[in-house]
Amino acid sequence: MATSTDAPPAASLSGLTLSLERDGVRSDVLRGIDLEIARGEIVGLVGESGSGKSVLALALMGLLPHRSHPEVGGAIRVAGVDMVHGRAEELRAVRRNELGVIFQDPMTSLNPTMRIGDQVTEASGTSEESLRLLTAVGIADAELRFRVYPHELSGGLRQRVMAAIAVAGRPSLIIADEPTTALDVTVQAQVLDLLRELRDEFGCSVVLITHDLAVAGQIADRIAVLYAGRIAEVGPTGEVLHAPTHPYTVGLLRSRLSLGTPRDQELRTLRPETGTPAERMLGCAYHTRCPLAVERCRVEQPPLLDIALASAPGIGGEVALTADLPTDERLGPADHDRACWRTVDDVQGFIHDTANAAPLTSRVAPGPGREPAVRVTDLTVTFALRQNRRQRGAGSSAAREVRALRGLNLTVEPGEAVSIVGESGSGKSTLLRVIGGLTPATSGSVALAAGGAQMVFQDAGSSLTPWLTVGELLGERLAPLGLGRTENRARIDRALTSIGLPLSVARVRPAELSGGQRQRVALARATMIPPAVLLCDEPTSALDASLAASVLNLIREMRRELEMTVLFVTHDLSVARLMGDRIVVMTQGEIVEVGTSADVIERPEHPYTRRLLASVPEIGATV
Amino acid sequence: MTRFLLRRLGSAVVLILILSAVIFLLQSVSTADPVKAYLGANASPAAVAAARQSLGLDDPLPVRYVDFLTNLVQGDLGVSYRTHRPVVTDLQAFLPATMELVLWSFVIAVLLGGLFAVSGALRWRGSSIFRGPLLVLATAPPFLLALGGIVLFYAQLHILPANGRGPGETGPTGFLLIDTLVAGDPAGFASAAQHLLLPAVVLAIAPAIAIGRIMRSSLTNTLGADYVRTAESKGLTPFRVLGRHVVRNSLGPGLSMAGLQLGFMFAGVVVVEQIFSWPGIGNYLAASIPTSDFPAIAAVTLVLGTIYIVANALVDVLQAVADPRLSA
Repeated sequence: MATSTDAPPAASLSGLTLSLERDGVRSDVLRGIDLEIARGEIVGLVGESGSGKSVLALALMGLLPHRSHPEVGGAIRVAGVDMVHGRAEELRAVRRNELGVIFQDPMTSLNPTMRIGDQVTEASGTSEESLRLLTAVGIADAELRFRVYPHELSGGLRQRVMAAIAVAGRPSLIIADEPTTALDVTVQAQVLDLLRELRDEFGCSVVLITHDLAVAGQIADRIAVLYAGRIAEVGPTGEVLHAPTHPYTVGLLRSRLSLGTPRDQELRTLRPETGTPAERMLGCAYHTRCPLAVERCRVEQPPLLDIALASAPGIGGEVALTADLPTDERLGPADHDRACWRTVDDVQGFIHDTANAAPLTSRVAPGPGREPAVRVTDLTVTFALRQNRRQRGAGSSAAREVRALRGLNLTVEPGEAVSIVGESGSGKSTLLRVIGGLTPATSGSVALAAGGAQMVFQDAGSSLTPWLTVGELLGERLAPLGLGRTENRARIDRALTSIGLPLSVARVRPAELSGGQRQRVALARATMIPPAVLLCDEPTSALDASLAASVLNLIREMRRELEMTVLFVTHDLSVARLMGDRIVVMTQGEIVEVGTSADVIERPEHPYTRRLLASVPEIGATV
Repeated sequence: MTRFLLRRLGSAVVLILILSAVIFLLQSVSTADPVKAYLGANASPAAVAAARQSLGLDDPLPVRYVDFLTNLVQGDLGVSYRTHRPVVTDLQAFLPATMELVLWSFVIAVLLGGLFAVSGALRWRGSSIFRGPLLVLATAPPFLLALGGIVLFYAQLHILPANGRGPGETGPTGFLLIDTLVAGDPAGFASAAQHLLLPAVVLAIAPAIAIGRIMRSSLTNTLGADYVRTAESKGLTPFRVLGRHVVRNSLGPGLSMAGLQLGFMFAGVVVVEQIFSWPGIGNYLAASIPTSDFPAIAAVTLVLGTIYIVANALVDVLQAVADPRLSA
């Protein structure tokens, strides 16, 4: 949609700074943000976890958590109302009339003990209007669904209910905070379409907050890339995605896994954070990770300037200060701005530099004639599910059986890596759990090679015992060997070295580590005594793209070194393609397609596989 | 929901049957001779033998249990060896006093606990002045609290009585507070309230803290829930957010703790009734134990156990009402 500069913007942020207190420590979360959201515009706000994007959403709503004692500088205006200094009633009126919000997880964002009709009506006023809205967001049989509770709906439907709440009262701005992250890829596409339709139909603006540039790229008119509480780059979607001008944007795009990522090379990652917070706050926050950083980046914060202006003077040259520029030069919605001391040419020259992509050494050849590492025969798993009258329908029995797996057969050769892909409820995790011995099989059998299996779970945070140190967690695995203290210590040190963590990590508890580090510890624990089969259940889906890539690299490296068989469960086809020699596609408890990674991705046979492939958000090969 | 209720009711009946069996077995393995209590220590051997015969103590155990159950179903709990009156008559005399004490005490506990929870979760300014002393008091054993309360409010300040229920006449309900009110006896009502206050508060303090802490942590959790943020984002007033979204979702743990504590209060009432000379079943039980008055002991235990089971069944039902996900 064309953005008009005459109409007042739906929302504007100028010079926004925000600090929050956590555990008694105050930290700057937003450090000077200028952004305008025009009427009817969709702005994608992209950043890694910790970039401040979700806090920005809360600030826009005037719902910053009191407990964190927020200190706000600068201005936030939504529909003309000052959201920083406004009175509580004013802010409530804005939330009621001008704002709609869609949060990440529709399961937790809807009140579990309230009928969905009532929840929508709270925002819309009347039940007739709620019915209309529920129908408008694409919920079939809205009258029937009106009286159900959230847990009786699927994830996609729940997010549609959230959308109905968001558009109630015809808001001028919808804030969508990671609205698709908790959803399956096919549902993700539907929700993004829905957001665009809502914009087209209701004429509202949308702020789409996401960690995935490709998701933003699907519907956003403009993308703002956030790094450490500042905008690194902002511009029209096409330009930001295809001609990025900030090293961070370039890094994000390069570390993003897609169906075109080379399989035979190490995955590219952003440089891990090494600097201290104090170092980062002084100059450009990205300089400690930036491959193009120069001395000036360390000491002076680059201003956000139009690319035409910023690139001209070059490094060390005189750059016009933002304060000297007329306001519309700084905030024009169609402009492409960036905050970097290096020239656009330098940055774009770097895009085509592939130096840090090391080729992978050749794989372990699956040995013919050897016993398979995993042999699954006619495996069936059924769960008894107790059901509610509403779901059941008249006349059927109270207990229903859910067949999570329906007679699966799968053979995995030693040293082979197999990816198992499917959406939630496809049975892919159940299959892994049965192979790992965590869930009993109802019928059929699983045979494992000597050495057994070890598992790595999605949420490393909750799969590591919080009160044990990393050293104790790793040492536990060695206990049955009875090696003695010194040998244990040596083994633990070796394990930490192999996952690229400093030895001092042995003395800290999991809570003190970052998500990526925790997942590395989980990997070290699983591979301390190399198992015959490593079972990975979505080990990277909770991580930022760059961290995910580094964990995937680690798994691939370990597989080569330890000659392990790997079973890798994921909902993401691009990850499946990179991690598996073969891909197994599952849906509704059945395997619908098996083939080499190249075959499945390039020549999918089953319609379900094709549908999955079509839903994967892609940017297109530019970087 | 009907299915859920039936299932819950069925399991309550089974639990009460098991309880009665346990009580009966305990009675039969005890070495104390109830006939001595019945006839006095100096009874002749012939009289003892005759009494054993007439009380049915010589019958085989299963026969006696079946008799016990048959009588139980007919509302006959036997004759007390000590008072020589039907146990049911004794219970009718003593149970209302205990019910009144425990129920008011429970109301006080829930109110104090609720206040403790809400003030803690919403961080009312200065509310720790109230929470601190309550926490300290809750650490003291009830008999100490009772004695302390008597020393302070009766012996020193002379503002509260220290024994009995007061002079008012009980009427149809057996609840002095209600009966005096119905009978239009304001003096009797005031006296009854005064007599009730100290024992009820003493009995309420520990449960209040238990309920309050559980409710506070569930309130705190709920306040941080995503759906509360959603409710706020709709522009609802804080009062509506609390009333419609927070309270109902925080009730579950508080309800189960309240049910549990109600059961404990009926057990703890024995001590409090003795100290305050409260004419309830606690006192009755305390007098029955030294004389091995089995029918009385069994009846009181059965009544207390039944109240406990019913209270918890009720909690389960209330929880299912509060959270539709449970009544599957």
